[in-house]
Amino acid sequence: MNAQEAISTGYGGAAKLNYLTNGTTLKSWLLTKDHKRIAIMYLVTVSAFFLMGGLYAATIRLELLTPASDLVESGTYNKVFTQHGILMIFFFLMGGLYAATIRLELLTPASDLVESGTYNKVFTQHGILMIFFFLIPSIPAILGNFLIPIMIGAKDLALPRVNLISLYIYWLGGGLTLFALMQGGVDTGWTFYAPYSTTFSNSFVMLVGLGIFINGFSSILTGLNFIVTIHTMRAPGMTWFRLPLFVWAHYAVSLVMVLGTPVVAITILLLAIERVGHVGIFDPTIGGDPILFQHLFWFYSHPAVYIMILPGMGVISELISNFSRKKIFGYEFIAFSSIAIAVFGFLVWGHHMFVSGQSIYAGMVFSFLTMVVAVPSAIKMFNWTATMYKGSISYDTPMLYAIGFMGLFLIGGLTGLFLGAIGLTVHLTDTYFVVAHFHYVMVGGQVIAYLGGIHYWWPKMTGKMYSEFWGKISAMLVFVGFNLTFFPQFILGYQGMPRRYASYPEEFQVLNIFSTAGASVLGIGLLMPAVYLMHSLFFGKAAGDNPYMHPGLEWRTSSPPPTENFEVMPVVTWEAYEFGEESGMDLEAAKQREAVTA
Amino acid sequence: MSSHYSDKFVYHEPGLQHQFDDMGQQEESVSIGMWFFLVQEIMFFGGLFTAYLVFRSKYPMAFAAGSNHLDAFWGGLNTLVLIVSSLTMALTVYYAQKGNRNMQVILIVLTMIFGATFLGVKAIEYTDKYNHGLIPVAGLNKKVKAEAGAEHGGAAEKPCWEVDHNAPPVEHPNPHGEFIWTDCSLAKMALDENILTASEKNQYLVRDENNKPVIDTNKFRDKVRIFFFLYFVMTGLHALHMIVGLGLMTWLLWSAFKYKYNGDYYMPVEMSGLYWHFVDIVWIFLFPLLYLLGRHFIHGG
Repeated sequence: MNAQEAISTGYGGAAKLNYLTNGTTLKSWLLTKDHKRIAIMYLVTVSAFFLMGGLYAATIRLELLTPASDLVESGTYNKVFTQHGILMIFFFLMGGLYAATIRLELLTPASDLVESGTYNKVFTQHGILMIFFFLIPSIPAILGNFLIPIMIGAKDLALPRVNLISLYIYWLGGGLTLFALMQGGVDTGWTFYAPYSTTFSNSFVMLVGLGIFINGFSSILTGLNFIVTIHTMRAPGMTWFRLPLFVWAHYAVSLVMVLGTPVVAITILLLAIERVGHVGIFDPTIGGDPILFQHLFWFYSHPAVYIMILPGMGVISELISNFSRKKIFGYEFIAFSSIAIAVFGFLVWGHHMFVSGQSIYAGMVFSFLTMVVAVPSAIKMFNWTATMYKGSISYDTPMLYAIGFMGLFLIGGLTGLFLGAIGLTVHLTDTYFVVAHFHYVMVGGQVIAYLGGIHYWWPKMTGKMYSEFWGKISAMLVFVGFNLTFFPQFILGYQGMPRRYASYPEEFQVLNIFSTAGASVLGIGLLMPAVYLMHSLFFGKAAGDNPYMHPGLEWRTSSPPPTENFEVMPVVTWEAYEFGEESGMDLEAAKQREAVTA
Repeated sequence: MSSHYSDKFVYHEPGLQHQFDDMGQQEESVSIGMWFFLVQEIMFFGGLFTAYLVFRSKYPMAFAAGSNHLDAFWGGLNTLVLIVSSLTMALTVYYAQKGNRNMQVILIVLTMIFGATFLGVKAIEYTDKYNHGLIPVAGLNKKVKAEAGAEHGGAAEKPCWEVDHNAPPVEHPNPHGEFIWTDCSLAKMALDENILTASEKNQYLVRDENNKPVIDTNKFRDKVRIFFFLYFVMTGLHALHMIVGLGLMTWLLWSAFKYKYNGDYYMPVEMSGLYWHFVDIVWIFLFPLLYLLGRHFIHGG
């Protein structure tokens, strides 16, 4: 093991090439067909978008600290924002810390600076960057891209060139969107509801729409690639029911990506033509149908919610099982619940439109189906809990994230039932209750799973071990900061504070101060991994090939893996998550693992 | 030592890519990938078909009126051309499997000729729409100056439903190239026979001075414009797919000419064929939806 470790980390005499060292020129990265390199390039880009979206979020929270809308000033803010990115990163770093003090000074409602139009742009761009350019590609394009071929014992994805094209499309779409934000941004809300977006909005709807349209094809191609790869590239012995649940989750996600994304693409195309030509297809004054836009939009964008959460669930299945040292409970149920979520996810879009004027009977059906989606989600929750029961649990950083996920997703999921109940929704629509709900699922779910996954597979991706101490601190900061930020918003929403307003009645201020304070903690918690993970790249301990003594295929190759993943094609003779002797991953080995990490 | 070097000494079937173990795996992967791509395409067009469905059920008479202005002869000819091109495409795959290079080249050229014919017919049709002011986006139609001497006042006095369908077409003045629709005889007929839907009554009619519902030319025109909008988006996207298909054919022609395809390696031909058939099938749905539905109101009694 030690000799192997020495070779794979380059300390031995004849250094073996891994995917990071096999070619070091810029060209070798930009023209690579290696899924692992493409994943790393996605990681860098997606993180940049996450940071930008986070900056917008910080602005929103600072703005909402006082009832009046006084922080965000006329127009210039956006330009400053993107053109002075570095300054703004500094602002984000310090902004959280200073937030409380600054807000104490600015408690006087300075209504002369009000420019709620800019506030509209800030929350719109926060939503667009986070959803289309961070959440959707985060786990699939980074972890999925990196891990799926290794997990199933393949040399690469089935269509490596398509994979590279999808990255370029993502860059192109993201670049156009950033360009649009620099030009002045967009203020329609990330949902682009017509006819505001087609007729009235005087912002860069076309350019941002084009960016999202293009970016959609990146998502489609990634999904397509995963489906093909999972079907045809599995190693000998790697049957469907030996696949890691991470792979099952990605199979379900890919179905949603391939089936859903084209619909939003065509919707945006119609929106664009309507905006340019004013044909009237979405304009009710001349016979068009704005509800049709909402139907088409949510037909994708609700399943897109599952694009955002299913990969996270896949990660959590891996983490829970590994850190409980126990075979996952109810493998088939978890696998098929992913597929069930993907299927039902296509049948519930109308619950975003309960008050839109759609038929009340449609609303009732959508309400019922929304309740049905809770079943497969609950199956997962119960099975994870059962996996932990009598497991040998260790509270490493990824496991802290996984446990955090379970708690937060539970709250997010149950409040989803509130919102799916058609009567209650009439009261809660467009309030902060909705905001809190989807942040509990999206941030408390996907972002936390993403962080857990990045930590868990960091040793595999880089060959280095991060600081466990700082990892745990940041995981706990994220958990505390997250709850402090978003739990008050449930109460705010229930009390009736509407979303998307820069100012609010004074009685809501206390909870908003809680929320902003929490956001600072959350921001610090989210930034810390960027620091200590980067630090570990250069100064981290060598991780070894299999630091967790896990039977999965990704742990049976070197860290970082060689370009074609395995020296010899693996033959799988063990079931998934078999930590016993059959897979050579018994308890003795686990002790050895402790000796290695110590 | 990286597996890169050892690869050089291993026998590789021509056309086998590095990530696959054998041709069987590669063919299966490519084939599944193409089928899922086509599923994606169906969803892409599906959004448009949904929009068509919604508006057609809302405004059937406006859609019938718009549909009747399309020339079923050209549409039918194009259907025929595409079906025959699918045959030549299928035969290309057959001869690629046989390794018959000359037949491949001939059939690909034939397929391309049919594809180009289709696009040519589409161009003729689009030009006709341009000349008649039927492009739904204002400013994109032929700009017709109002002639000083010509008297259009008399025609404007007549209600929009009193149209002589056998009279030679009149060129209406259209200085800004706007969408023009002056014929609401179908809506009038439906109003008289009381078969207008609720949303049509709501959207076509205004009350005249006697508080009687009458057809409003402009309101009816707006609904016909939605038909032509969908017509242009759907057939335009389809034509775009045809152009991509012709690009694929050009590439196939070149590689077939170079003797690339035989019984062991013909997946590019088969996959391009799948794509071609798919584009064909989309047209098979577009043709009746756009050209044929509603014709009986005028042509069949």
